[in-house]
Amino acid sequence: MKNFVPEEIVVERGSEGSLIYRNLRLALPQVPLRLVEDISTANGNGDFGAAKKTLLLARHKGEFLKKCPGSEGQVCCNYYVVNFASNCSMDCSYCYLQEYLAQNPALKVFSNVDDLMAEADNLLTKHPRFFFRIGTGEITDSLALDPYIGFAREVVPFFAQQPNVLLELKTKSDCVDGLLGLDPRERVVVSWSMNPQRVIDTDEHGTASLEERLRAARRCQEAGYRLGFHFDPMIEYPGWEDDYRRLVEEIFATVDWRRISWLSLGVLRQTPGLKRTMRERFPRTELLTGEQVPCPDGKLRYFQPLRVEMYRKMFRWIRRQAPTVKIYLCMESKEVWEQVFGYAPSCEKELGNQLTNFGF
Amino acid sequence: MYRLALPLKIGENHLRDLMDWLEEISLRDGLQVRRILGDGSIGALESDPRLGRADRLKRIKEQIRRLRFPRLAQTEDSIRARIQELKLQPEIRLTVPAGLEGGRLRIEFDAASQDELQRLIAKLAEATGKEAVREIFAMLAGRTAEDK
Repeated sequence: MKNFVPEEIVVERGSEGSLIYRNLRLALPQVPLRLVEDISTANGNGDFGAAKKTLLLARHKGEFLKKCPGSEGQVCCNYYVVNFASNCSMDCSYCYLQEYLAQNPALKVFSNVDDLMAEADNLLTKHPRFFFRIGTGEITDSLALDPYIGFAREVVPFFAQQPNVLLELKTKSDCVDGLLGLDPRERVVVSWSMNPQRVIDTDEHGTASLEERLRAARRCQEAGYRLGFHFDPMIEYPGWEDDYRRLVEEIFATVDWRRISWLSLGVLRQTPGLKRTMRERFPRTELLTGEQVPCPDGKLRYFQPLRVEMYRKMFRWIRRQAPTVKIYLCMESKEVWEQVFGYAPSCEKELGNQLTNFGF
Repeated sequence: MYRLALPLKIGENHLRDLMDWLEEISLRDGLQVRRILGDGSIGALESDPRLGRADRLKRIKEQIRRLRFPRLAQTEDSIRARIQELKLQPEIRLTVPAGLEGGRLRIEFDAASQDELQRLIAKLAEATGKEAVREIFAMLAGRTAEDK
């Protein structure tokens, strides 16, 4: 994986005393740094690609934790997200952040990690009977910036001590060095978005190769972490079956499936707005040539019989290798769940509980 | 495209759909838009003297949609063919949702009397046992030979 190096670091006054600031300075001494009074003046000119070249560091003034918004009318997995950063150093052509962060595309890391952990502590203590799944990869990659900011080193020991949470660190990178010396105590799942190398080459710009992701997963497993894999977005193209079947085989040849907490499946989806952005930013991508139709939640997906067939095939290939591993669909309707698995969770709590229950 | 759009007086929304589809077909198949529009079936519709402007636009748009979504169109055709095989009266209408999203078969009745309603329901009940109905649901559920 080619290391991302920002062209400039811009720090809002008040963040210079933070641990993240110190880590950044140690890891990137060669990168010019500018101190500003108000970070909003350095938020970029709205160009999504250009915004990734500058790394901003500032305090987060709102709440860190929130419920994953899911998608209207779709089965939800009762997931919480904590946003320690905004935007991503990588540049996948299908990335929904291109639309979600269009008005605020700055690549930003929040310096007040203590506040983040205090907020999480408050939530977990208030609801001791509820088992939370919390992820950090909603509006950023959980680990791509970790070699510079050392976020994982701060939060993993905290979450490892909590009795009622699983922290998921979701990534397309191989930046796991910072995790390896820590003891996750079965409370941290490191997960990868997976696609065949062909898709990585054409549409996952700046991410780790398949081989690098697999090697990183193996290292995490050996260090005591539970693993997750997200086949999301699955892309349909001539020959996809051979590529995805081989991908599944490679994963299970590399890691022990009994240490996998969950696998998810989701097909390529985008709003019409994101489609326009993808056309502008990646005019040669073939992702938009698939047979996608509008769905009730406003997103475009492969037409239902086609994507159900894709899910069913993946399910079969996975089951051959891992008979009991938990598999769920991301952002799909009850009808699709029923067609793929023969059942749909009755409510989001049921699915959330299934995913956290792996027999401690 | 200009040659097509001008005589048909295509509105903005139709034009946007057509341009998107043509661009995507072009990217997928490595063909110039001119070549795609030169497809015999589109040319035949363009010059068919029996068609008025609105019908011509509708048929040409459908033809381009079929080129853009070939497997969806094929599945829709297969489902339509199975529905025809059932030989139901026109008072019973079986339809599938646009884009096949939702995976459900919609059934509508028109009856002018209790007798007629009973007769239609009996006819429909008889049809539900047929292989064609099983195949319709299998297609809606994306089932392939491997699933058997």
